[in-house]
Amino acid sequence: MFLNNVKLIFFREVRDQLRDRRTIFTVLVLPLLLYPLMGVLVFQVQQFLREHPSKVRIVGTAALPEEPALIVEGRLSDKFGDVSRLEVEFVPRTNLSSEELKSQAQSDLRLGVCDAVVYFAPDFADQLAAFRNGETRAPEADVIGDTARDKSKIAAQRIETVILQWKRALVDRNNKSSNIPAAAANPFEVKRVDVSQPGRRRAAIWSKILPFILMIWALTGAFYPAVDLCAGEKERGTLETLLTSPAARGEIVYGKLLTVMVFSMATAVLNLVSMTGTGSFIAMQLQKLGSGRLPLDVGPPPLMAMVWLMLALVPISALFSALSLAIAAFARSSKEGHYYLLPLLMLSLPLMMLSILPGAELDLGFALIPLSGLLLLLRTLIEGQYWDALRYSIPVVGVTVLCCWLAIRWAIDQFNNESVMFRESERFGVGLWVRHLLRDREDLPSVGEAMFCGAMLLVMRFFFSLVAPPATSWSVLATTTLTMLLMVAALPCLMAIILTKRPAKTLLLCRPSFWATVPMVGLLAVALHPLLLLLNEGIRFLYPIHPEAVVKLREIEGMFINAPLWQALLVIALAPAICEELAFRGFILSGLRRMGHRWGAILLTSALFGLAHGILQQSIGAAVIGAVIGYVAVKTGSLLPGAIYHAVHNGLSVVIGRITPEMVDARPVLRLALERGSEAGELLYRWQAVAVAALVAAAIIWWLKRLPYQQSAEERLQDAVDRSITLAASDLPTDRTAVEEREPGLMSAARS
Amino acid sequence: MIEVCELRKSYADLVRGQFVAVDGVSFTATAGEIYGLLGPNGAGKTTILRILSTVLRPTSGTARVSGFDVVTQGPQVRRKIGFVSTNTAVYDRMTAQEMVEYFGRLNGLSEERLRERVEDVFARLKMNEIRGVLGAKMSTGMKQKVSIARALVHDPPVLIFDEATMGLDVLVARSLLKTVAELREMGKCIILSTHIMREAERLCDRLAIMHRGHILAEGSLEQMRERHGEGDLEELFFRLISEHEEAEMQSAECCTQNDLARVAP
Repeated sequence: MFLNNVKLIFFREVRDQLRDRRTIFTVLVLPLLLYPLMGVLVFQVQQFLREHPSKVRIVGTAALPEEPALIVEGRLSDKFGDVSRLEVEFVPRTNLSSEELKSQAQSDLRLGVCDAVVYFAPDFADQLAAFRNGETRAPEADVIGDTARDKSKIAAQRIETVILQWKRALVDRNNKSSNIPAAAANPFEVKRVDVSQPGRRRAAIWSKILPFILMIWALTGAFYPAVDLCAGEKERGTLETLLTSPAARGEIVYGKLLTVMVFSMATAVLNLVSMTGTGSFIAMQLQKLGSGRLPLDVGPPPLMAMVWLMLALVPISALFSALSLAIAAFARSSKEGHYYLLPLLMLSLPLMMLSILPGAELDLGFALIPLSGLLLLLRTLIEGQYWDALRYSIPVVGVTVLCCWLAIRWAIDQFNNESVMFRESERFGVGLWVRHLLRDREDLPSVGEAMFCGAMLLVMRFFFSLVAPPATSWSVLATTTLTMLLMVAALPCLMAIILTKRPAKTLLLCRPSFWATVPMVGLLAVALHPLLLLLNEGIRFLYPIHPEAVVKLREIEGMFINAPLWQALLVIALAPAICEELAFRGFILSGLRRMGHRWGAILLTSALFGLAHGILQQSIGAAVIGAVIGYVAVKTGSLLPGAIYHAVHNGLSVVIGRITPEMVDARPVLRLALERGSEAGELLYRWQAVAVAALVAAAIIWWLKRLPYQQSAEERLQDAVDRSITLAASDLPTDRTAVEEREPGLMSAARS
Repeated sequence: MIEVCELRKSYADLVRGQFVAVDGVSFTATAGEIYGLLGPNGAGKTTILRILSTVLRPTSGTARVSGFDVVTQGPQVRRKIGFVSTNTAVYDRMTAQEMVEYFGRLNGLSEERLRERVEDVFARLKMNEIRGVLGAKMSTGMKQKVSIARALVHDPPVLIFDEATMGLDVLVARSLLKTVAELREMGKCIILSTHIMREAERLCDRLAIMHRGHILAEGSLEQMRERHGEGDLEELFFRLISEHEEAEMQSAECCTQNDLARVAP
């Protein structure tokens, strides 16, 4: 890639956007105006709220005791709290029954004649006296309100506060007259002590709001320029001009991506600055006016918070910019492009909202969710919990980088995809599309079909786990596991048969290119087993499994240790090796390899494979194994060696689970590899064995690496493009069948 | 300069299945020559030119420009060509000079050489007075001039004009064709597509008459006249196309009859 071209395109696009009045307005002017205007609005509303009095009717005032007086000179006494916002109408006595009064109150509340009604029974004072003299039933004062109406709710709340204060005064007077000290009614006070520093308190408030605002604006700020830069250019006809220049598609995408990022970041920063500035100003003004009535301590956010936000803004903008660019490249016109903003927002909003749910804390689960993890990491950093942030920064950064990379690749692929670049409107109908899928089948599944299969497998697993019976015994566990695995295998097999011309080739049901790979890969599984166990230990140390899950895992482990060995091997080793391999290294990998990037396909497949494992801590280990098996499958061109690896790896776990320390003591062969651990009954690999295994594994991987392998047509093309070499006329890759038919010859030449 | 061999391009179409836009087309064009693709709309001319400019990938067959493969050596090919088409517009928010300089830089010209080339091209195309005009404010003729300047700024050996006179008034079209003829004199290899007989007759050294993705006849005007015994290009064009359509219809009927015969007991 030539940085020069990226720079040229970037500067041109930025200048172009800056010459557009609409962009300047939305990016620069709007945020600077929006928040002050909103502030003015808040002030207005606040004023309106404060000046609005509540209309309350108090019925039965004639029956109230004279001391302490609730009503003084025809008005509510101001001894019992703030009565300035209460407009009270007194009805000394009524002939209505309690029920009639309620229905009258209901209609009055609805008509807005009053907002709340308080009812004292005609003999309220007498009941009160009787209660003081030992009567068991206390008199009641009804506060009648309508909780469906805010005005009524506020009125009821205000009058209730006054009545409660009055009640307290009544208690004090009673105590006094009975010579009981005031302390008897109120033996102790409950006092809250907040030890947080004002800065921290402010950080806690801002840490919830700011990351969210930042993301929303980063997305909005990315989307509009992206639409103008792709769909807009398509519409204006300038995109083809650029495509015929020597700039490569990657350079064009990176140039445009940087432009979109600049606008996304500028929008986010300006909004943030304008919002925090206006927000803190208003909050401080309100505090001054309300003399501390505002429960929040809001001031300008701490400086470190802003630094973290700016740092996080770079990946956030990169991700949203790449996504927007890919989506905008797909659109034929700006109008169509703008339609796609809503779906993108709808997809990202729930991920953002997750992080502001009460109780959401940064843990491994959240860390692995795109956007949510990043938002929570930001919050943790702003709150100053650096150890937690550091611990989870690896998965968060990993997931974010992976998402950014995928989004950028998607955008570049969109630009490379001529059916997207030169898409013309055509009639679309579900029937037509299904017929097209069946009629125009290709040899191998498309990338989209592979991704669809992966997504369907995850959805299927999720729903199956909801309906599956709890694993109460080995037979239930074995049955549900086998059923699930059969479903996992059935979907890709069906899709291969229906959607492709060569299902066997799709599912890699071919001879391995070299038979020697089969035993070697089996050996590799044995050699890598100790290392993968170490990796799992490390993952569990960094990200401990929830204690409840540990108990469940122990139970399940216990079940398959006590089950007959052949059954355990069938359910845990053999069945997954066949079923999961058909799905992941068969259908999904074959489809994804058509992206033209071998490692991209392997890593994406293994990420899906990892996600398909229940517990997150297991997922990471599974993804690593998935990558190894994926590499084996690509290198051997067959499902068999990978399935052998899978079976041996899982089988070893089953077998080692059954070996007891006593067996190790009795057999010298076992003592070579295993030793007792610190816990009772625990067995560990000897470090010498781990070292030897690592060497053996490295040697086998090196051997595998040197083997020639069958590239997919797209990989061969990508390779030729990367190396800028001329392919012979007969080697032109899009003629897929021709390439694949030539391949056996190539492989036998390599063998000989 | 340009070698096209057995080029084929098909698209997946929701309604028609695989639609073949270009079907086994081969031709060569050399330096100092204007090669014309003459055909009605939908003949596959634009598709071929888009493949030559590397924005489309052939389904099979090869195409080389100055020895570079259009599939695997895209950037090298694009450095060797100047592409002008009705689909390649000018930027609205850029002046003529900025636009031409931008593409010069993308083609890797040094600042000194760029200045030289811009002056040369602006003088040659007589567009000095529109240097500072924004694309949005230009007339169709001005825009076309800027497009040609943009295609010429890096002095490419190969120039591709796809229906370049479409939508232009007579005066501008005439001056454009004059420019094309001058470029030939400068030793450029020029390939142009058109559906206007007069243009083809006046300009092209060699011609290919295209219809539905096939080349029906190829050669210089004289060769074609001799071979088909037809003095008028327009008559020749209609004859070839109607013959091709008839032949296609017959083969389609033949296929249906064969199918029917197979199905019948």
